[in-house]
Formats: sequence, C-alpha cells, structure tokens
Amino acid sequence: MKELAGRLTALDPDAGAAVRVIAYFDRLAEARAGLEALVRGAAVLAGVPARLVDADRRVQVRVEADGIRRESESPPDPAWPCAALRPGGAPALWLERAEAAEPSVVDAVILERAAGAVRLVLDRTRGRAPADDPALVETVLDATAPEAARLHAARRLGLDPTAPARVLAPLDGRARIAPAHPEPEPPPDGRVGVGPAVPVLDLPRSWAQARVALRFTAEGTAQDPGPGVVHADELGGIALLADLVAPGAEPPPDVQALESAAAAAPWLLATLHAVASTVSLRAAAAEINVHHSTLQERLAHAEHLLGWPLRTPQGRFRLGVALTMRHLARP
Amino acid sequence: MTQVPPPFDPELAAALELIRDVISPGLTMDEIAEVRRGPGIQMLAELDLTMGGFFEVEDRTVPGPEGAPEISLLICRPAARAVAAPRPVIYHIHGGGLVIGNNRVGVDIPLAWAKEVDAIVVSVEYRLAPEHPYPAQIDDVYAGLEWTAKHAAELGGDPQRIVVAGASAGGGLSAALALLTRDRQGPEVIGQMLMCPMLDDRNDSPSVHQMAGLGIWDRTANETGWTALLRERRGGPDVPAYAAPARAEDLSGLPPAFLDVGSAETFRDEVVAYASRIWQAGGVAELHVWPGGFHGFDGFAPQAALSRACRGAHLAWLKRLLGE
Repeated sequence: MKELAGRLTALDPDAGAAVRVIAYFDRLAEARAGLEALVRGAAVLAGVPARLVDADRRVQVRVEADGIRRESESPPDPAWPCAALRPGGAPALWLERAEAAEPSVVDAVILERAAGAVRLVLDRTRGRAPADDPALVETVLDATAPEAARLHAARRLGLDPTAPARVLAPLDGRARIAPAHPEPEPPPDGRVGVGPAVPVLDLPRSWAQARVALRFTAEGTAQDPGPGVVHADELGGIALLADLVAPGAEPPPDVQALESAAAAAPWLLATLHAVASTVSLRAAAAEINVHHSTLQERLAHAEHLLGWPLRTPQGRFRLGVALTMRHLARP
Repeated sequence: MTQVPPPFDPELAAALELIRDVISPGLTMDEIAEVRRGPGIQMLAELDLTMGGFFEVEDRTVPGPEGAPEISLLICRPAARAVAAPRPVIYHIHGGGLVIGNNRVGVDIPLAWAKEVDAIVVSVEYRLAPEHPYPAQIDDVYAGLEWTAKHAAELGGDPQRIVVAGASAGGGLSAALALLTRDRQGPEVIGQMLMCPMLDDRNDSPSVHQMAGLGIWDRTANETGWTALLRERRGGPDVPAYAAPARAEDLSGLPPAFLDVGSAETFRDEVVAYASRIWQAGGVAELHVWPGGFHGFDGFAPQAALSRACRGAHLAWLKRLLGE
C-alpha cells in the first residue's frame, strides 16, 4: 500500500500547494516539533536547502532537500528568498534557491509559516533574544540579586552561563549583554563603552566599567574629537581620572582653558586631539590634512591661548589629560 | 473502553497532511480497481531502476507453479564485474495489501541496499487477490525463489546467500516464504527482512482497534486485503500459516529475522508478537518499533528523521547478516 500515493517531494506551485504548506507547518507546530524538523520541512517542501541563522541566540540549522543536515561555511546569498522571525527584523530563514527566479507564492508561504513556527520554538526553548527583555537584563546586572536568579535570567537571555560575557553601555543607558566570543558588533552609530569579558556572575562589574568607559568616548566631530568606542580593558590607570572629575561639576582649570581657547579658534580641538593621539607632529598634520608649517603656526597660537607648551613631552601629556578630563566633565 | 492512539511523530503527522487527499486510511473491496489505476503505479513506471547506471535491468519470464501461468521476475544486477565471489541475492516481494502493486513497487528500497552491499535484486511479480485467492501468491513467490536459487550462479549470484525481503504484504509473504522453505526443505534463505509486515488475518489486536480510521492501512483496509485473500475463511479456525504467518504453531528453525513496525499502525502488535514468538522458539530476530510511525512512513516521508533512522537500521542489519 505504502508507495501508491507517491512520495513526499517538493510541491508543484499549484493552487492547492499553499493550503498543504499551511497544514504541514500547523501540524508540526501542534506536535511541538523542534527546529530541525521545521527547517527540514521548509527544505523538503521547497526542494532546495533551507537555513536558519539566529546570531543573537547562536542558532544555526541548515538542512538540504534530501532531509539531511549539513552546515555551510558560506554566508547566505542576499538574492535568496528569506524571512525575518519578527516584523521588521533581520532575515533569519532562507531558501537557497540559486536561480533568480520569479518570486514564488509557494516559497513565500513556506517561509512565512516556517518562520512563524520557528519563532515560537525559539521563544519557548531558547528565551528571547538579548536586549528583548529589560527586566531580565536588569536582574543579570544587579549585584545584589541572588546568584540563582541572575543565572536563570542569563539563561533566559540566551547566554551560556559557563562562558564569559561582557556588557556594552550605549548612550541611551540600556545595557546590552553579549557573549565575549565572538566580539560583539558595536552599534553602528553613537558612543558606546565596552565592559571587560567576565564570568556571567561578574557582569555587574563589567556593566560598571562599561559605563565608565562610555564617559571616555566622544562624538568624533570637530567640536568633540575622540573615539566613539572605548574598551574599559584598554584604559588602565587613566580610568582613575573618572573618579576625580564629576560630570556636570565645574571643570578643572585646564579644561576651562581648553573651552575658552576653542571658542576663539574653531580648529583648535581637532588639531589638539590629533597632536595628542598621534606619534609625531608630522603624523598629526597628516591626520587633519594640513601642512606641517601650518600645524606649527597653529600650535604656537594654541600655546599662547592655553598658557602652557604643547611641543614638549610634559606639555603633550598635560594636553592629553586636559582633553580626557573635558570628556569626563560633560554633564 | 476508549481507544487512545499513540501520537504520530511530529514530522510524520505533518507528512500525513500532505497525502491525505491522495490516500485514505481505509480501503474497501469496491475501491481496489480505482487504486490500481491511481497515480502511484504510473509514478513507478518512471522510476530509474538502473539507479543512475549502477544496475543492469531485465524482466525475465520464468515457469510458475505447476499448472499455473508463468511469472515475471525483475532482475537488477550491478553493471560492474563482480570482484571475486558471487554476489548475495536480495529476493524482493512487493507490498500492496495483497490486492495491488507489481514488482516495481518499493523496489527502490532493496536497490539502495544492493548498491551498498554489491548485491543482485530479484523482485517477483505475483497474482493478486481477490481475482486470485490464496495460495496463488505464496505459490508464485515460492516458484520465483526456486528459479532464483537454481539460476543464481548464472546471474553472478550466490545461491547460498539469498535474503528475502518485503514491506507490508510483501513482508507477510516473506515471512510465509521463510516458513515454507523450512518445511519443504526448499531453497536456502539466510535472512528474512520483514518491514512493517502484514502477518495476521484475525485483524483483532489492540493496535488494530486503536488505529481504526487513522494513518495508513487501517482495520477496514486490512479486512479488505485479508478477505480478498481468504474469502470466508478469514479469521476462522483453519487459516494456514503460509497465508497468515501469525497462525504458525512453530516458529523454530527459521532464518534470522529483521522486523520493524511503527508504534502508531495497525500491525504494531502482531509484529511485536511475531518477534517475541521467534525468540521464544529459540530463534534470532531483531525488532524495531518506530515511535509515532504510521504504516510505511519511511516510504512516504523518506526525509524525516525517523525514516532515516529506520532505513539506517535496515542497511545495518543487512550488512551484519552478510558479514560486511
């Protein structure tokens, strides 16, 4: 009896196919099938390999049309039909249909139903993606919360409790927790302080240091030159300055001198940052695209405005400290 | 007593959704002709029996049982010259509830094994019920086996290494053939591969009742198949073991058996019972009950995880049997 109805193979794009796709994934979801069964369903019904990649939750499943799981090193092709797991999200499920064919209705239905079922399984089994749930993040970063509660919250956020993680502090104040490996992508714009990689239970410390590192960041503009991303690990003893300069309080005299000099000469801050952050005056001139002699003239003028030399080692050090304190003194 | 059936495996439940328009759990006598004309048989005609040129394929007509028509054997031999020793022979008996099918049905399964173990496949055609009741089927497959054993050498095969194999009705006929060759001291069979075999005409086990109206080949279909074979004798006191192997009194002295069945199918309990009785008789059997499997699930949804495990078990048993 068994072979007489034919085999379960890729569906023809006829009118009934979409209905059968919906029924197929409904039954999988009803029976609480796992991710591999869902991705396999997409691959078998579409007749091409299907892959699921959820970087935040470190999930990667690729199944070929014969139903066998084979991972691939190559990144997804942007031309493949794909679907996000939630509206407006990044693509997470692909059908590896190589030929740039007409968008197919059956493919679209497969992707939509499979992605919906995958999302439910991921939310049920792996927790929501990090940054999704501020209350869980808050628990993980609360040093006074019981350890068991913090570990539970970390798992719910998809973190491996045995692997190191770090906290990123963006300007909006909402902490982002990420595994230490691979190195998390910094947000595409805006300033961010990066805490050290620590065991999950030490994340409150990583968070504190990330917030300190954030104070050392800058917009990277002419009026606020400096790095947008600062790693707490790389600050060393300079981090101690953060305790000495209170945000919004009256700035130290050298910072006040910088502010009044900058008001008199618009080029001043970018020029001085270049001098303080490069290895030679020649390199500083190249950095800000001015002739070496122009830089010499500007420095003479700046020394006059500030009242201390800039071309001695001691003077450059004082300049570096003043520029750093200027960031720290911001409200 | 309410009958709560075991749930289908998630992937298999989904696969059933896709085929529900094409195949229903039941089959009545009136529907046999229609199913014989259905799309399944046409699809089989398109099957590449050479498996991409690996096999040389021929249909051979050989003598049938005494006083009966000739029978047709599908013979698939590896095209490459045999390395040294003659090849093992897989003697395949197709399924189809004893009422439908031909020697192409399900033959891709033994062909896939044969490719792995360098064997010859002989798939036998037999007369179908209800036009031809018992014992036409077992007589035909016995005649085909006799011819195969006698002519194995000429095919490049080893008459001392014949394995009988079949699924569903073909599994039941394979079991019957093992009984018959034992009793008649006929051709030697070194193993019997009984895939979800149809063994018991009484059609009355707990799994039969539990799965009524569900999956593939339910109680109604089973009654149709057995009644086509045995007519009014079905379920009665005098059904021979060569018709329904579950009726055999003595299961000793049989070649090693592989049996498998889904937990969610009509045949579950009769297959488990048959394996147990082989052990009780001092015999050798390997039994797999695939959780949530419906009848013939590995054929309908070969990509499913359970199907791959099932097919892996078939091949692993065969390799151990053949000493590979």
